[in-house]
Amino acid sequence: MSKPIVIGMDVGSTTVKACVVDPESKEILWHDYERHHTKQPEKVLEFLIRIGQAFPEVAREDVRLFITGSGGGPLATPTGAKFVQEVNAVTLAVETLHPDAGSVIELGGQDAKIIIFKEGENGDKTASCSMNDKCASGTGATIDKCMIKVGMPPAETVKLHFDDSKLHHVAAKCGVFAETDIVNLVKTGIPSTEILCSLADAIVMQNLSVLTRGNTLKPKVLLLGGPNTYLPFLQECWRKRIPEIWEERGFDYPKDVPLEELIPVPQNAELYAAYGAVMYGLHEPAEVGAYLGLRDLERYITEGRKERLGESAGPPLATDQSELSEFIEAYRIPEFEQAVFSPGQTVRAVIGLDGGSTSSKAVLLSEEGEVLRKAYTLSKGNPIQDTKDLLRELRDGVRADGAELEVLGFGATGYAADVLEETVMADVNIVETVAHMMSATHFFGDIDVICDIGGQDIKVLFMENGDIKSFKLSNQCSAGNGMLLQAMADQFGLPVTKYAETAFQAELAPKFSYGCAVFLDTDRVNFQKEGFSKEELLAGLAQVLPKNVWQYVVGVPRLAALGRKFVLQGGTQYNMAAVKAQVDYIKERVPGAEVYVHPHSGEAGAIGAAMETLRVVKRKGKSRFVGVDAAIDLEYTTKNDEETVCHFCPNECSRTFIDAFRPDGSTARYISGFSCEKGTVESKEAMIELVRERKAIMKEFPNLVHYEALKAFQKQKDLDAMPEAGAPTEDVEVKQTFWGQIKHEKIQRGFERAPSEIYEQRRRWRLGMPRVLNMYSTGPFWMAYFQSLGVDPRNIVWSDESGEEMFAEGGKYGSVDPCYPSKVAQAHFHNLFFKHHEEKPLDAIFFPILTHVPCFIEHAVDHTSCPIVAGTPDVMKAAFTKEQDFFATRGITYYDPSISFVEKVRMKRVLFETFQQALDLTEDESNFAVDQAFEALERYDQDVQAKGKAILEQVEYENRVAILMIGRPYHLDPGLHHGIPDEFQVLGYPILSIRSIPKDHDWLRRFFQKDVDEGLIQTPLDINDVWPENYSANSAMKVWATKFAARHPNVVLLDVSSFKCGHDAPTFGIIDRIVEKSAVPYSALHDLDANKPGGSIKIRVKTYAHSLKLHEERLEDIAKKKDELSRRIDEKRLELLRMKQEQLASLKRRDPALEQQIDEVTARLSAYVRDADPDKDAREKAQKGLIKLGKKTADGGLVRV
Amino acid sequence: MEELDIEKELAKFEAEQRAALGLGSEQKEHWTDEMVDPFFSAKQKAHTEILVGGLTMAHDYLVEGGLSGLGYTVRSLDCPDTKALRFGKEFGNRGQCNPTYFTVGNLVKELCRLRDEEGMTAEHIIEHYVFLTAGACGPCRFGMYVTEYRKALRDAGFDGFRVLLFQQTGGLKQASGEELGLKLDPTFFVTIGQCLFAGDILNLLSYRVRPYEVQEGATDRAFAAAKKEVYDALAKRGSILMALWRARKHFAGVEVDKLRAKPSVAVLGEFWAMTTEGDGNYHLQRFLEQEGAEVSIQVIANLLLYNLWEFRHDTKARMKLKGADGGNFGLKDSDVGLTLAGLYLGEMALRAWWQGWAHLTGLNAHHLPDMDLVAQAGHSFYNQELRGGEGHMEVAKLILNVVKNKAHMTLSVKPFGCMPSSGVSDGVQSVVTERYPDAIFCAVETSGDGAVNFYSRVQMFLFKARQRAQAEYEQALAEAGVTEDEIRAFVKGTRYASPFFKPPHHHAGTGADFVRHVGPLVKAGRLGRAKIHATRFAASVKNAVTKDLPASYGRLREVAPYLPALVRYVGVEARDYLPVIQEGLEKMVEGVIKPNDEEQQAIDRAEEATSMMPPQPVRAPAASLPVMA
Repeated sequence: MSKPIVIGMDVGSTTVKACVVDPESKEILWHDYERHHTKQPEKVLEFLIRIGQAFPEVAREDVRLFITGSGGGPLATPTGAKFVQEVNAVTLAVETLHPDAGSVIELGGQDAKIIIFKEGENGDKTASCSMNDKCASGTGATIDKCMIKVGMPPAETVKLHFDDSKLHHVAAKCGVFAETDIVNLVKTGIPSTEILCSLADAIVMQNLSVLTRGNTLKPKVLLLGGPNTYLPFLQECWRKRIPEIWEERGFDYPKDVPLEELIPVPQNAELYAAYGAVMYGLHEPAEVGAYLGLRDLERYITEGRKERLGESAGPPLATDQSELSEFIEAYRIPEFEQAVFSPGQTVRAVIGLDGGSTSSKAVLLSEEGEVLRKAYTLSKGNPIQDTKDLLRELRDGVRADGAELEVLGFGATGYAADVLEETVMADVNIVETVAHMMSATHFFGDIDVICDIGGQDIKVLFMENGDIKSFKLSNQCSAGNGMLLQAMADQFGLPVTKYAETAFQAELAPKFSYGCAVFLDTDRVNFQKEGFSKEELLAGLAQVLPKNVWQYVVGVPRLAALGRKFVLQGGTQYNMAAVKAQVDYIKERVPGAEVYVHPHSGEAGAIGAAMETLRVVKRKGKSRFVGVDAAIDLEYTTKNDEETVCHFCPNECSRTFIDAFRPDGSTARYISGFSCEKGTVESKEAMIELVRERKAIMKEFPNLVHYEALKAFQKQKDLDAMPEAGAPTEDVEVKQTFWGQIKHEKIQRGFERAPSEIYEQRRRWRLGMPRVLNMYSTGPFWMAYFQSLGVDPRNIVWSDESGEEMFAEGGKYGSVDPCYPSKVAQAHFHNLFFKHHEEKPLDAIFFPILTHVPCFIEHAVDHTSCPIVAGTPDVMKAAFTKEQDFFATRGITYYDPSISFVEKVRMKRVLFETFQQALDLTEDESNFAVDQAFEALERYDQDVQAKGKAILEQVEYENRVAILMIGRPYHLDPGLHHGIPDEFQVLGYPILSIRSIPKDHDWLRRFFQKDVDEGLIQTPLDINDVWPENYSANSAMKVWATKFAARHPNVVLLDVSSFKCGHDAPTFGIIDRIVEKSAVPYSALHDLDANKPGGSIKIRVKTYAHSLKLHEERLEDIAKKKDELSRRIDEKRLELLRMKQEQLASLKRRDPALEQQIDEVTARLSAYVRDADPDKDAREKAQKGLIKLGKKTADGGLVRV
Repeated sequence: MEELDIEKELAKFEAEQRAALGLGSEQKEHWTDEMVDPFFSAKQKAHTEILVGGLTMAHDYLVEGGLSGLGYTVRSLDCPDTKALRFGKEFGNRGQCNPTYFTVGNLVKELCRLRDEEGMTAEHIIEHYVFLTAGACGPCRFGMYVTEYRKALRDAGFDGFRVLLFQQTGGLKQASGEELGLKLDPTFFVTIGQCLFAGDILNLLSYRVRPYEVQEGATDRAFAAAKKEVYDALAKRGSILMALWRARKHFAGVEVDKLRAKPSVAVLGEFWAMTTEGDGNYHLQRFLEQEGAEVSIQVIANLLLYNLWEFRHDTKARMKLKGADGGNFGLKDSDVGLTLAGLYLGEMALRAWWQGWAHLTGLNAHHLPDMDLVAQAGHSFYNQELRGGEGHMEVAKLILNVVKNKAHMTLSVKPFGCMPSSGVSDGVQSVVTERYPDAIFCAVETSGDGAVNFYSRVQMFLFKARQRAQAEYEQALAEAGVTEDEIRAFVKGTRYASPFFKPPHHHAGTGADFVRHVGPLVKAGRLGRAKIHATRFAASVKNAVTKDLPASYGRLREVAPYLPALVRYVGVEARDYLPVIQEGLEKMVEGVIKPNDEEQQAIDRAEEATSMMPPQPVRAPAASLPVMA
């Protein structure tokens, strides 16, 4: 008998690691580690052969095999191995090799794990482990991809050291976001060392804040897994951030031990899982894991995998060759033939340029609208240089033919458009969506849907009468765009141009679920493990694309409802596999669909800009463009150094200043590389100026979202004084009868009041409340309640408004990952503890569980709040008492009673019981305060509604529009709505909130009476006609607001919703239907999260502004027609009155009333003649953007904003 | 000369001018949901098939039997699979939770199958099928499923398809009327109750027996046969007690060996995810059993008990307030005495019914939870007023599992996007596991894809649970001083070998409990065994006197003030039920005097013969002749 050996094999998502262990000494006799390039079984086979060669003396019967890793499962049976769960393996290895370890951080290819060892009551060590969910990006794969994007050679990355002096924003929440941020940083010229340090920091912080689930890592903290082992800067980052958290949480760690020992990277760390699998095996009976040899594994590689695939796979892209050839024939984009010019010819044309984020394109368009030439360049992060290159290419191309170029005008779209308008005096600066629309209608005329799939995003435009009716854009979670296909092709080492050719070879295709690119990649890995070939995977991914577009981004399952004529454009349409999947998908769902592929798919935006330039230049008769030569010779300087760093917030963004010198000698500065608008200015003075300007505009255009948020937390005025002790008051006695019934008897008695010294104590009592969630809809209530009880308003402290900085600082306590609005609550607690409490100690923190919230909807099933929102106070309690009691250690009492705004009597009891002791309350005092609080809430409502009413009446009078933001109450928080309403406000649109719509039945009758008469609803505030399951108060109010906007001619909608909002989801379909039928202008920004989606907001704002402009024009047209109508009617009336007068005269009769009427109508008519538009002045003024709010309210008071 | 009517002329003129100016009517069309009030009439009943689904396979199957026994044509849908998920995602709203996608998608999938594979038109399907499901009113999205059903059905081309609802917490009497096709009367709810309880008991029994079966597949065969017995009894309105007795016999034939150190895994979490048995939780229960675990499932009776508890708790919390609030919880216009009496009675009836059936079927020593105790355990972590059941059925259960050593491992399964379970309960569980460090707690999310990670995560915790079960088992053997083989030889042919034998609870594992109970008997000799039995009996009496009796007394004291109300309740309810009782009696009489098949055939033949005879002149019967009523 030979000496037995045990093999441990770790089959990961990118590599296979193996070790051979002597079961007696537990020593590693042999080990290796290699990338498998998605051929896991083959690599395992190769390793087994090599092990056989290394141990020729060991008989097969003496070999045991234990396999672990994400790809290990299917290989257990053919090899005879026992599968060992990976974390178990790592835990066992750590327990064997490092009995003193307190925790482990392992970053693998596809997943990240944190293991924390805890000692149970019986002294046993148990390991609690958390793994990333599918969203987190702190994994090897993301790091790999980002390193490729940064372009730093591996040899240099291992030499890099962590430096936190210059860090940039990288969203580590999701792999796609991280990559996008990295690409942007690269483009703005940030040095690669800074980018990689930023990435490391983002990954470390993400893992520390999410993956630890709020637990504190205990030393020793072992760093395992590929990236931790090979990247010193990542190790250093852990060693910097973990002790910081220890300090912050007051965790007592051995400060005399060097950090390299407290947070070590063990040798051979990559082998831990494989070694642990062996350790696991040694616990198992001897017959477990008996090695079967190579035969079955070989068979598995050749046949086994394929057999299983048929069951789960779907059809390929094309069933047979003839279908494919027919399709390609019909849909292939014809090769573009550059126009040929003759020597000496003068080419008169306009240039359109689309400065995209990944690439820039330009076209030369003849006066007749014919595309003459095209130019393309990958973006280099400097729009001016990109433009110069493109213009040179076009000009030199024409000159090469011996012709001369005469540029009639220049138009731009895309992110470069703003700077080009400034520097080269572009004639046109239009938003991409409009450019795409113009281009598509130019080629295809009257179409219904335009679907543009670019590298980074998806835009779907719905058309009506040749203009954009509405649109959907992919949000920052850009699933299924061109990048996805590109990335997938990259994974297989295939140029994207070969994608279609390869995918068409597949005979079946795995069925991917649609959704996020990260999820798809996880699926891809799983399918690959199952044995799907690259052809099949690429085919399957192409089939996901339409699902991502129509189901995920557009969210309209009934494609037929959108129309019949579809245009596909964007660079992705060059991939015929994607086109085939799209065309099949659309044709299957839309009977008689006509699907066209734009002949210049990639340049649709540039062509649109050129078309608009043609129009503008023709209309103006001249161009302001500096000319092609001047533009090519445009001089500019770039600066990126200490001086250009933005110091307006702790982000310290490293910016690049591009100064271009205009022909008139002036300079236009373009600033890139910042993450917020503060970065657009250079100095403190400029910053002050920017803020001042914005404030001035905001003052002119009222923003009730802002106003409401402000008012919700202010000191309450007009509160009644607490009655004196003994003042007559009513009370109720409760009795239960023999038969169990409850009887209430009213009695009269004196008011009970605490002695005055108690009031002094109350005045000084200091209370903190988090400014989050439904506190936004109940803030005035709480202010009034505590003020009424005698608490000094200055001692009622609200946490600050949410913001990215606040979340970065205080977002590390949560053990769950719900929607951002509830997740941010922990940062507010952090803010109360570490800022407000430290400024002046707090006695208590109050964060009620609000099961039912104030709601104006009538005949609703209930007025509940969302379960996550309601439960957050308990989650906060858990998070801040788990390891250490943050409240007790600071002498703060936490109150989180459950409160229902539907039950006033019960609420009185609960509040009294809650604060009885702390404030030495009598029940009378508490009840009085509750009554005051309800009145305060009512006053708050009335105040906001009065302002809303004034705006509504004013915009209607002036034929303009107001934007109604529909969201949940906490979307009033600027940190949650990310300043979206403000963006519209500075464009001159007044912003309404749901609360600001008057709820007065009489006032609303005009809009809802018809529905009431038809019996669809009982009152104007009833939504049972559209949604009977309306128990969620905030959702119901959102739906009502949509109904209101649908009925008010001058109100348009801005829908905001947070990522993972479970109570918004069921209303999406309802809101869509209401909006669709009434055709009220609507724009949605869904899936909002912690980070501000700057680019996404910008394009939406611009596109929506375009639609709103058209809508306002329509309103004006209608108003003009109505004026005309009343004039004609008056003329007719005069004619008829005179006829009647004649009739009477013939009868020798006179009617003084009739004569008076004739005089009145004549006077009215002469006024029409005098001034065709009596409100002209007012309207012109209004167009400059001033909403006059001097209007009187019903009670005669002036409205102030 | 006719007098000029100026206003009439002007109205005519205005209409012309509006048209000329292109102003048109100013009335906009607005969307209203026309599917909100589905009507299913009694006349349609004959040609309409009711589709049901959404619980465990056993429950769905039995509900099908129960409703067909009530005269409906009914069919239960297949267990939702990933194809259903895809349908749900295509036609549902974005951002929904997985149970919504799975259940809504499952219905759409079936309707599409009828249309695309069986060639029915959408109009035909809408006319001939309805879907029946339970409704709720918050706080999670469960109550909005029906919104989602309407949306998905409309978008999938089944605009107008009827989804009928009965309220989960609506009590025994809901919308009912002569003209309605589906009568939500006490008979309906009692039948549904029968299906659910029988389903609960058979499920529990199968999960209890299967891990210890000697012959693989024996339990599944017994389970299938048992379900068929109950199904037939429900469908034919036969005796369910007899059916359960026959079901017991099927299980009795399964040979078991309890000498296995199996980790006991309590599955809890979001209701649908822990209940479904298909792709929705990656066949979790089967997976655990394959991995060598004994699965402890949650039953639907627990949910009903929770609903009753909620109602009782809410009433008691408000009855002494200085006034009555409105809203769904306030006591305005409510008779507190009657409500509480009804709830006490309801709970007692439910428990007696369920436990009686369980005992009859062989499910011994399974106790339905005391919801007050559960509420107490969880409240300091998870406020009782937060509804959805997570406080009771996740947080408190975990605590009780640890404190009472009920399971080696607690697995909380939640579907992707679940609000209370993932968003709140898991957050709270983090502090619970900190306070109870011995708990092996695995919270795991099912996303509908990526089963590998899911299994891997469960296996990770199961490894620890297995180690713990093994240690506990070995310790039990050591303490008893016997070997497995000795016990095996001893129990052969005794009642301990019965699949229904449930050793008293002490350890988390069944094997260890078995060893602890039977082990000491093995070497004890006859006298020794008698002594052990006597000691155990004395201990159980002592336990009953010191624990059960005070508990019952406490219960009695709690209920006592409502005894007069109970009398009143019975009086009030009896009035309502009189027609039902009368109808029942009539049916019973009819059943007795109804001719059997042979007699019926004879009658039919006679009637046929008479109908062929020429009509006889009608004569008034002679007064002396006896007249049959």
